[in-house]
Amino acid sequence: MLNHTIKYEWLNLLRDRWVMILLISFLGITAFAVRNGKEKVEDRMATITKEKEKMVKLDRRMAADIDSLNKNLKPAPEAWKDPRALDNIGWNAPRVVAMDAQPLAVVSTGQSDLFTHYAKPKIYGEAYTLGFSELSNPVQLLFGSFDLAFVCIYLLPLLVLGFSYNVLSSEKESGVLRLTLAQPISLYQWLFGKLLLRFFILTSIVVVSILISLTIFGIDWLGNMEAATKLILLVTVYIFFWFLISFLINLLGNSSGSNAVTLIAAWVAFVLLIPSIISQTTNSFYPVPSRTIMIHEYREAKALAEKKADEILKTYYREHPEYAPKDTTQQNQYSWWLGNFAASDVINQSVQPVLDDYNEALNKQQSWVNRLRFLSPAILLQDGLNDLAGTSPAHYTDFRNQVIAFADTWRHYFIPRMFKNEKMKSDELASLPKHSYSTANVPSHYNADLMGLLFFLTLATAGSLWVYRRNRFERMVAL
Amino acid sequence: MIFKIARKELKEIVREGRFRITAITLFALLLAALFVSKSYYTSVNAQHNEAKKNARSEWVEQGQKNPHSAAHYGTYAFKPKYPLSLIDNGVDKYTGVSIYLEAHKRNEAQYAAAQDQTALSRFGDLTPDFVLILIVPLFIILIGFNAFTRERESGTLRLLKSQGVSTWKLTMGKWLGLFLPVLFIAIPVYVLAALFLANIKDYGQFSFWALTLLFGVYLIYYAVFINITLFVSSLFKKSNVAFVTLLGIWMVSCLAMPKISTAIADKLYPYPTQVEFEEQIAVDKKKGLDGHNPWNTEAKKLKEETLKKYGVDSVQQLPFNWDGFLMQEGEKHTADIYFKHYQLLKDTYVNQTNVYRSTAALSPFLPTRFLSMAICRTDYTSHWDFANAAENYRIELVGKMNGDMAANSKYGDWDYLADDKLWSSVPDFQYEPASYTTVIRQNTSNLITLLAWLLLSFAALYGAVTKMKTI
Repeated sequence: MLNHTIKYEWLNLLRDRWVMILLISFLGITAFAVRNGKEKVEDRMATITKEKEKMVKLDRRMAADIDSLNKNLKPAPEAWKDPRALDNIGWNAPRVVAMDAQPLAVVSTGQSDLFTHYAKPKIYGEAYTLGFSELSNPVQLLFGSFDLAFVCIYLLPLLVLGFSYNVLSSEKESGVLRLTLAQPISLYQWLFGKLLLRFFILTSIVVVSILISLTIFGIDWLGNMEAATKLILLVTVYIFFWFLISFLINLLGNSSGSNAVTLIAAWVAFVLLIPSIISQTTNSFYPVPSRTIMIHEYREAKALAEKKADEILKTYYREHPEYAPKDTTQQNQYSWWLGNFAASDVINQSVQPVLDDYNEALNKQQSWVNRLRFLSPAILLQDGLNDLAGTSPAHYTDFRNQVIAFADTWRHYFIPRMFKNEKMKSDELASLPKHSYSTANVPSHYNADLMGLLFFLTLATAGSLWVYRRNRFERMVAL
Repeated sequence: MIFKIARKELKEIVREGRFRITAITLFALLLAALFVSKSYYTSVNAQHNEAKKNARSEWVEQGQKNPHSAAHYGTYAFKPKYPLSLIDNGVDKYTGVSIYLEAHKRNEAQYAAAQDQTALSRFGDLTPDFVLILIVPLFIILIGFNAFTRERESGTLRLLKSQGVSTWKLTMGKWLGLFLPVLFIAIPVYVLAALFLANIKDYGQFSFWALTLLFGVYLIYYAVFINITLFVSSLFKKSNVAFVTLLGIWMVSCLAMPKISTAIADKLYPYPTQVEFEEQIAVDKKKGLDGHNPWNTEAKKLKEETLKKYGVDSVQQLPFNWDGFLMQEGEKHTADIYFKHYQLLKDTYVNQTNVYRSTAALSPFLPTRFLSMAICRTDYTSHWDFANAAENYRIELVGKMNGDMAANSKYGDWDYLADDKLWSSVPDFQYEPASYTTVIRQNTSNLITLLAWLLLSFAALYGAVTKMKTI
């Protein structure tokens, strides 16, 4: 009997032109979202490629220069331009340390509009001064991007609600419900079956739209089956959650209009209010540690260290290499740099605690805020999507650490060679340290996010059972 | 008659459970937003004042130094937080709070709050503007979507007509019936905000006039939404359809349009990346005068010219320290380069702003959003203004350092030291924001668009109700 009613429902939906309209409009929205994401990712990769090409070209030119200088084909340039000097390579030919886009980066802009995706650390410079902020119009950051994550987090629930808010009430209002319930079926099962059918239809529409859009814009999801499956799974669970909410509200037995209003209220609460309330209250009650105070402490520590370093080196030698005493260069042409490294080590060691303290406080605050994501399925989905797209805050923190680590590698490639007073050879340019981006050290949130969403599913199921048990049958059926 | 209808509408709305729940929730949200924002504002402001004091004392008490080293050591300019930012925080979260001022280099503002926050912050914060601009329209839709459809569904519309009530009077009554509840919620918030702001210690920058203007903008915005709600309600037979349509309008104008405009603006007028921007500047710098590099071609040229001008044949014979002079000339040159590139960036930003201004014709949310930020001094233009002021201060500070070195030391004498007399002779960085007249002038287009929305939506409503069928 149940099968029969479900089959009837299926045929009914199939003939409904709304399903077709829904499919087409959703496909349009998804395609637009993926296009926007794709544009961002393409820009990002294009600048990285351009930088790397520039680097290769420069390397080639320098190798040629070194060769012709060694063969005396060219007059020797001024010391500060000579490519044979290690410091010039370390300073003028930095490597590009880039954060390559993950295969599904188009899915979610995440934090990618806030930070740069490559850096060129030089042999000299403090890790602290490496800037990672991207130049952007803050209005754009405020409004956010129309990406797939936005479509899934904000629009999908509305689609679900529009598709299901009157499953029970419309039957009631048209009088069909009494007829149906004259059959030997359980109201709960029948309603659940109806919703399940709608869930399958909508999920298929969504999944197909997403996959088609990804294919149109040349995202190789087939080659990244694991990530694609994870994406689909996450979105499916989120859709199911909203169907369950709708199921619960339907079981209350109110009119279609009232259901619609209640469901919209639920949407506003889960998607708009809870995230913004959490965000704003943490800002006030567990704020991010103050950067302005950190700057002050940093400068104080640095000033103190510099006073000490003054005994080793005069401050302005560091700032004005051209005025450095010339006699020392006779022993080692890099003595200025070596002295400089020594001095900056002294300083870095004394300011490092300030930075470490700050980062520790920031990590603590962030991990505390991260736990609050379990309060709303919308935040869980956002977090999960950022994780899949490789655009989560954790990814950017990890990238910064990779850059700082590479800056150290870069400098330590030159230091031993400088001590030996070596010169750069043209064939050595190819064996300079290289950076390759890896996400291996980024802690993944995906499983926790999925579990969180499943927890919300359980909660909604339990809620619907509770409502069903408590609510009088007559109320659910009566007009 | 209008007032009778309004009274009836009000009574009906207030008696409905839906209204009571949503109104109480809304009011609670606004209060919470106001309190939380106040505590946030107070703590940020305290940090700001402390940081400002610290930066000044670091500068003044930096000890004996060569003036040019002091210019390298530099100082910080901190962006002040304005009292009205507790109503609308605008883009403040996404712009840096401090600018490092040093010799040779114009730095971008650093440490935008959003960069240190988790992705959660991208959902937006529960600040009063969030409720006032995003949620209140939803509230209007919720209490007004069935204003006409209900009458039609129950057949009372025909009854009213037979009583000889003009549809326009009926509409005005219903209009007031929607506007008054909104006003009842907005007025206490306005009073409370005014009380809060008046009690903040240093409220020198705050004016009641601005707050009133802000609420005036919001009220116009609400009037637009009331017009749209009644317009849609008068078009459809069924409440459900009216509700879904209105919800769609809200979604598009408040959630989707801002993002779509962003996509368009970014596509038409893309910003350079940070590294690209810096490299363009570096290229120009290399071409020109380098104050630290006496072998630089431009520097050699300047040297010859200066020697000729003073009729001497070596820099030692000049009446001032050549190094200081050279560095100041280099400084002027780099400042020009920065000015040029920032001007180019500003052009892009102006173009993007124009995109938003044209898409504002499609969404009343956009002009309101921009006006609100501008009045609260948390828009991008305010940030630019601050950054420019900081840059002017930087040029002045570095100029004073180089000038002192040129005037008071001899060529090659890098051991010359100045002390706190010189440091404290540089005035502290003071920033006066643009006057409200300027702010209004910059936002005339937004104001006009919003007023156009008001008039056109009124006209549409008028047109619709006069042709309205009773069944």
